Amino acid sequence: MQLSHTPEEEQFRAEVRAWLRANVPRGKRPRTGLALREYDLEWQRRQYEGGWAGISWPREYGGRGLSLMQQVIWYEECAAAHAPVGGSTFVALSHAGPTLIVCGTEEQKRFHLPKILKGEAVWCQGFSEPNAGSDLAGLKTRAHVEGEHLVVNGSKIWTSYAALADWQELLVRTDPGAQRHKGLTWVICDMHAPGITIRKIPTMSGTGNLCQVFYDDVRLPLANVVGEVNGGWDVSMTTLGFERGTAFIAHQIHLASTLEKLHVMARDLRGPDGRRPAIEDGAVADQLLNLRAEVAALRAMTYLSVSRGARQAVPGPEGNIIALCYAELSQRIYAFAVELLGNEALEMHDENPDWLTDYLDAFKNTIAGGTSEIRRNVIGERLLGLPRGGR
Amino acid sequence: MDFNLTEEQQMLRDGARRFFREHYAFGQRRALLASDAGLDPACWARYAELGWLALGQPEALGGWACPFVETAILLEEFGRALALEPFVSNVVLCGRVLGCCGSTAPGSAVLQEMMVGRTRLALAHEEPGGRYDADCPAVLATRSGEDFLLRGTKCCVLDAPAADRLILSARSAAGDVFALFLVDAAAPGLRMNSYPLVDGTRAADIALDDVRVPASCLLASGAAARDLLQEALDRATLARVSMALGAMESVLQMTADYLKSRVQFGQPLGRFQALQHRLAEMFVEVQETRSILCCGLAHLDAEGAQRNAMVSAAKVVAVNAARIVGGQAIQLHGSIAMTNECAASHYYRHLLAFEKIHGDADWHLDRFARLRETHAAVTHP
Repeated sequence: MQLSHTPEEEQFRAEVRAWLRANVPRGKRPRTGLALREYDLEWQRRQYEGGWAGISWPREYGGRGLSLMQQVIWYEECAAAHAPVGGSTFVALSHAGPTLIVCGTEEQKRFHLPKILKGEAVWCQGFSEPNAGSDLAGLKTRAHVEGEHLVVNGSKIWTSYAALADWQELLVRTDPGAQRHKGLTWVICDMHAPGITIRKIPTMSGTGNLCQVFYDDVRLPLANVVGEVNGGWDVSMTTLGFERGTAFIAHQIHLASTLEKLHVMARDLRGPDGRRPAIEDGAVADQLLNLRAEVAALRAMTYLSVSRGARQAVPGPEGNIIALCYAELSQRIYAFAVELLGNEALEMHDENPDWLTDYLDAFKNTIAGGTSEIRRNVIGERLLGLPRGGR
Repeated sequence: MDFNLTEEQQMLRDGARRFFREHYAFGQRRALLASDAGLDPACWARYAELGWLALGQPEALGGWACPFVETAILLEEFGRALALEPFVSNVVLCGRVLGCCGSTAPGSAVLQEMMVGRTRLALAHEEPGGRYDADCPAVLATRSGEDFLLRGTKCCVLDAPAADRLILSARSAAGDVFALFLVDAAAPGLRMNSYPLVDGTRAADIALDDVRVPASCLLASGAAARDLLQEALDRATLARVSMALGAMESVLQMTADYLKSRVQFGQPLGRFQALQHRLAEMFVEVQETRSILCCGLAHLDAEGAQRNAMVSAAKVVAVNAARIVGGQAIQLHGSIAMTNECAASHYYRHLLAFEKIHGDADWHLDRFARLRETHAAVTHP
């Protein structure tokens, strides 16, 4: 066990810190629309030009070829420098790109990976359907082979940023006669292809990035298939491995700086008795401290998983542990913020900080990419060896 | 940074696990619980032979100099086996105090005896009504010629009944100075009232009626003594988090096995999603404990306040996990788990004792809150 960073890692951290100080975008990030896309791509472009894009991605596709621990250090410094986290480049960087690295053809990798790193492409995910949520293998969007193309018909839903995206990780049924998991294909979908219609789905937080996508005879070249035709389930498990494993490292680390803000709030706002600062209230202080301890535990859990995962190409089912902890802890943190704010939390205008929006959006953390219930199923069956339960 | 165990660390863990599997089966442990001493002297001698009692001690004194991680790894196995021997009191607490007092101090001979298993020690620090805080002990040390006379009461002194010597905190009458003394457990004027704790280990209340100790047995005094003790207690707290982690992992495994084999309604209990999720929740709590333990270990050599903060954070998280894991293990087993013949009840009792020893969650939350450095420590671990 090496419980502190090596001198090389500390040196790396110093370089990152210096670069971020000069380069982190200053303006407030737009919450939606093309302005958000431009903001995110511009930030990604700047990272690429500075030599910081794809820290742990292979060098031949534009990455730095460094360790996952160095990637973690990058995220830590980003959080400390209040750099933007997630957003419209999230899917591309955290699971579409990594899936292509593991399962893509040489041509797919050479075309797409540099575009992702250079901030030239936004990706979205096309897995869930109106009748296939947790039961992903029940999906019905169909595709059949016609010459050199797949022709897609159907609909995908809960697609974040579909309206801003250039490409999509699309999972379709190509063999309706085969068993549920067997007849699926993972294909790269051009979001500008004819036959695609996008409907925005307004949500309670008002951010409006969720969409439903309709496919009407959309023709995608067979060369866009990742893995084999009818071999899409395995590829999608790779995607979910990343989505539930490493994708949220940046977000987990970001929680520490969110707590920093909460601490300041608890000092500045009046507490439940209406007189003293909130932090002087015993219950408030205890809650804050409990959250801090859990954020510290989550960070160490991330280190543990990065240490263990350094030797495997795709994160294993253990990723679900952190995904579950992160999802539930983040919700408690935002709920606590809303509690601290009292009725001020209700005001929806641009001057209000993002607490309410973050709180309302955080419901997705225990739903998207596998609900907490699905994650507990996976933990029970794959990590604890319990028999497969009724579904 | 790399949280994987080295080959040597894996060997230590595997060796300890094998030892306890062979020498500390459930039946053997129950026999020990019923015995007068409540521990196994033969095991203690083996621990000495294996070098475990010298773990983390200076090489100059014949110790096995290594980072605290090794101690944590070993104690995880102690916890898994629910071993009853007073390892933490001796090696982590008293051993640390003596080891830090310098090789010329009177304690070094006692330390060397402890490392080879010839002497056992206990820390007599807490006092009636003190509720963990004993920064200003009421036990009074007054000068009497070349000696000191100790007078007062200590309570719930863990592992005292099996100890030959005590490290005892007191306040010197002259100048109100905090001091640590090395005291013979059989000294005239020292009375011990022994009793078992809920987890089967033994403790005692100790009355000191002008117990005479030579001046050479004053180990440390003033702020240095207080810092020394606080550091040793922080290490002991983390050591017990390690034990609790081992205990939780073991009872979790036991519960998982039970859910796979116990059949009701014509199917194994483990097929019911409500129970699967309960078990998954316990599993996540165990992982969280392992994680916060790593955090604590990483900060053990940090300066005082930062170390205090992370150790307290570790205790708070681990106590929360222990309640969930220990309690749900009983619930998922059903009535059998409340009985003495089921290990789950023993794990529960161990975790209950863990909760209260060296400060409960409230005490640690409070300490955590009082530390100005808390914020920095947790935000940038």
